[in-house]
Amino acid sequence: MHDPVYFDHAATTPVRPEVLEAMAPFYGPRFGNPSSTHRWGREARVSLDEARERVAACIGAESDEICFTSGGTEADNLAVLGGWRARKGKGRSTIATTPIEHKAVLSSVHKAAAEGATERMLDVDSSGTVVLDSAIAALGADVALASVMWVNNEIGSVQPVPAIATCCKASGILFHTDAVQAFGKHEVNARSVPFDLASISGHKIGAPKGIGALFIRRKTVLEPLFFGGSQDRGRRPGTENVAYAVGFATACELAVRERTSAVAKYAAFRDRLEAGIRSQVPDLIVNGAEAIRAPHVLNVTVPGVDGESMLMALDLHGIACSGGSACQSGSASGSHVLAAINHGAVAGASVRLSIGALTTDEAVDRAIEVFCKLARKARGLAFA
Amino acid sequence: MAGKPRVLVAMSGGVDSSVAAAMLVREGYDCVGATMKLFEDGAELPDRPCCSLDSTSDARRVAEQLGIPHYVLNMVDHFGRDVISDFVSEYAAGRTPVPCVRCNTFTKFNDLVAKADAIDAEFVATGHYARAAEGRLLRGVDHSKDQTYFLWGIASGVLKRLLLPVGSQTKDETRAIARELGLPRVADKAESQEICFVPDGDYMTVLRREMAADAPALVPGPFVLPDGTTVGEHEGFARYTIGQRRGLPGGFDEPMFVVAIEPATRAVVVGPRRDLHGSGLVAHSPNWLGDPPRVGARVGVRVRHRAPISSATVLGINESEVEIAFDTPVMAIAPGQSAVFYDGDVVLGGGFIRESRRAASAPALAGARPAAIPRTAPAAAGTRTHDTRTRC
Repeated sequence: MHDPVYFDHAATTPVRPEVLEAMAPFYGPRFGNPSSTHRWGREARVSLDEARERVAACIGAESDEICFTSGGTEADNLAVLGGWRARKGKGRSTIATTPIEHKAVLSSVHKAAAEGATERMLDVDSSGTVVLDSAIAALGADVALASVMWVNNEIGSVQPVPAIATCCKASGILFHTDAVQAFGKHEVNARSVPFDLASISGHKIGAPKGIGALFIRRKTVLEPLFFGGSQDRGRRPGTENVAYAVGFATACELAVRERTSAVAKYAAFRDRLEAGIRSQVPDLIVNGAEAIRAPHVLNVTVPGVDGESMLMALDLHGIACSGGSACQSGSASGSHVLAAINHGAVAGASVRLSIGALTTDEAVDRAIEVFCKLARKARGLAFA
Repeated sequence: MAGKPRVLVAMSGGVDSSVAAAMLVREGYDCVGATMKLFEDGAELPDRPCCSLDSTSDARRVAEQLGIPHYVLNMVDHFGRDVISDFVSEYAAGRTPVPCVRCNTFTKFNDLVAKADAIDAEFVATGHYARAAEGRLLRGVDHSKDQTYFLWGIASGVLKRLLLPVGSQTKDETRAIARELGLPRVADKAESQEICFVPDGDYMTVLRREMAADAPALVPGPFVLPDGTTVGEHEGFARYTIGQRRGLPGGFDEPMFVVAIEPATRAVVVGPRRDLHGSGLVAHSPNWLGDPPRVGARVGVRVRHRAPISSATVLGINESEVEIAFDTPVMAIAPGQSAVFYDGDVVLGGGFIRESRRAASAPALAGARPAAIPRTAPAAAGTRTHDTRTRC
């Protein structure tokens, strides 16, 4: 029996040993509340401030531009809803976004629409990439806020965020990017790209689940989601999770330091995986194949095969991957991303294999072998 | 290691299917658990014996405790199309559907078997109180819990691969095993008798959601006597089922019941108990789990979940219909419900009731011979007539 292999790094990653080590003191003697004035409090405050500076340095930001959140979802909510609520009733009433955003953005936009905003979906082509010309045309003087993800979480397509950010800046549109899947694989730098808001998440890069950050460019006004104390300048009240902030800062630094080598390594694994499966499943559809893709995501459709069965069988054979984005009940359901790029027309098993720290050459070999065996078997059943 | 074959176990999170899985694990089967998500969880359905997020979590925890993999199967589309839509259109047509039959016949078992094939599982298993043996389906040993009324529609091919571990024991024994195996979360769960997708036991909520506000089944219509006399107005015939007493006009000398529903005129026909007696019935779309019975065969027939099994004779049978005559008239035969045919404990098959026969009427099927319906007194009063409550 082979050991199970993990191909779901886009869902989450294991906590890195360096991160665990960095957090350890805060579960021991350094337990203080950073808002306290005594020595315990001061100690905690210093660590928190350092963590904020370290995260800021990783994305070309100033430390006061980093707002720690509970993760990517909260960062996206704060950006979209907080941005909308602060601008509501001041002339511009449209929120522009794409149909392939993470649900954290889409649902926030829908919520804003329920509060009076007009939704505008930017066109996405069949590769899963925003069509830049039409996006620029759609980003007119009525748009208050635009939100475009940097790397799509299901298929890995890279969006033209620098161009859209520049366009938004010129048009006075508040621009947010969900950079959760981009950070660590793609350069995310607030000095070179004029985004106003950017979400990043800890557990995609080896920090624990439950920590993330929203970059908030200076002078950007947001209405907070929470109300309470004055922590984080009132943008995010609540006693800060110092341990997680420190762990997150450590993970961010490692991700930036290792980015170039990780990208090369992951892309090589991804290409071998893709070629290996395609060689035995010639009609395989690689979703987002024509897009510029982040190196860690491979999303494929095996036409004519039931996706739910394929995922069960892969797991029973020790290959952990996913059928899109994991939902609350853990069940596979139709992907809104594939639907948006018109793959609804191809009925078949769509599987996302995502690469990261646990990926090895042996794991790639094993995934190719099992995937192809199961695809052939499922074909036999489907056409029987 | 040559172990026992793989089994895909449908796990609802309730005690029966949890114990079924545990018993199979104990017997050495290579078990894989699956919970079927049949509809989107809404705020109006806080907890249910199956399908809610809580129940899915219970199933997952039991599977983890048993050391077996667990998956959630998304059957929302199929269930909506095959079961909920049918439920609504049956009420619109003045009939009384049994959604569990539709689910088992068209959705649950088909999907389970397809998934079983995909993961090389030789068998599928559920927590039903019924027995499968030698390709036949039998009533559960605990007759008070018998669920075969809901299972007549499954394909005979499925039956050969079906394991029903709890069907050979009583509910008390099942609960005892749950406690013995350390499954306290599920051992003492309250048992629900309600339709899984109906909030608070009020199916009108579903009909109001799914039907237009001015749908004939939801707008006022007349109460009429069998002779056509109007005796009142009701607020939509979908609220009524054959045999119902609740919500009828008063002022009669004897208890009155719904005896017929006529969608064309939106009339709910009310009459005394004797008008509820059916001497026989015609069922359509039959499914036979073995050889179909011949004309003249003596069978037991159940017309409602937990109704007694009544002796009857097959009057006529073809591919699409079967007609039977009861030895003794049966109360409140409701079109849309199932007629399930038994030979002792063995389930022969079943069909959907198209119509009931009054004592005087002629047989419907060509080639069928008139039945000799004894004019004896009907079954004793007290029969539960309006029982759409169910457990799938």
